[in-house]
Amino acid sequence: MTLSSGDPDEALVARVGRGDHAAVQALVARKLPRMLQLAQRMLSDPGEAEDVAQEVFVRAWKQAPNWKPGVARFDTWLHRVALNLCYDRLRRRRERAMAEPPDQVDPGPAPDRGLLARDTGMRVTAALAALPDRQREAVVLCHYQDLGNIEAASLMGVSVEALESLLSRGRRALRAALADLRE
Amino acid sequence: MSAMDARRFETLAEAHGGLIARWPVAEQDAAYAWLAEAPQAAQAVLAQALALDEALDVLRPPTGSAGLREAIIAAAPAPARRWALGRWLAGAGIGAALAAASLAGVVVGVQVAGPSVAVDAADATLAAASEEDWTLLPDGESQS
Repeated sequence: MTLSSGDPDEALVARVGRGDHAAVQALVARKLPRMLQLAQRMLSDPGEAEDVAQEVFVRAWKQAPNWKPGVARFDTWLHRVALNLCYDRLRRRRERAMAEPPDQVDPGPAPDRGLLARDTGMRVTAALAALPDRQREAVVLCHYQDLGNIEAASLMGVSVEALESLLSRGRRALRAALADLRE
Repeated sequence: MSAMDARRFETLAEAHGGLIARWPVAEQDAAYAWLAEAPQAAQAVLAQALALDEALDVLRPPTGSAGLREAIIAAAPAPARRWALGRWLAGAGIGAALAAASLAGVVVGVQVAGPSVAVDAADATLAAASEEDWTLLPDGESQS
């Protein structure tokens, strides 16, 4: 149901805030797949994505009783919380990598690399992971989360023109990385 | 409708992909008009962008491990006891009223329609009233 604020989640969040167990279940059913997808695409790690999703809901349960409709859509707020948690983890990864440079990994014999290259899903995951964070964020929000350009730009704190530039550069890099898949 | 030309059409496809329906709403009408005006070139641009969309869509939405959903739901705070009790008492009141009404219906039904029909109707009404009471309690509250 959409109430006066135009937020389709408003009524559900209000019920969650009152401790309505059915509403809790409904909100999880509605939002968990989106939060998992967002975190998985940003982090490329299923375990970390689940940790982020759980933490997002811990924050949601705290926020629901005090939620003020009209300031932001609840879905947008959830995305912002999830992205912040993802960026925390990405920053920690970088700090760990600088503190402990990884050993040189043996890439293995050529046939194995060939097998890996044929796994399209792994190729796409790797191509996404190789993007600069902000380009990946733009692609994830617009392509996988299906947010409109105005909402995605607002979420990222950039203009719609800047978002378009991030998307263009991100998709160009992805196209180059995955060019052989389309041959 | 915003201005559209080949260059802008390509820019939009490059940024937003091969489906015009996913482009900025304010530019969709102009994009469809351009598609009608220069179909061959526009279709080629869309096809190239769509190929990348399809590659990205190879990644299916993650489902999460077993127990994730339950763990998240279990972390939700339970409602305040006083509130739950108030809701239950309100529900019990409604249930009692419905039960009384149904019993009246039983009496009338017995007189009018015969015992079998009347008892079935009363049972159904009582069951509905009973369910109404319990649905006002959050899961986890005792029903016994």
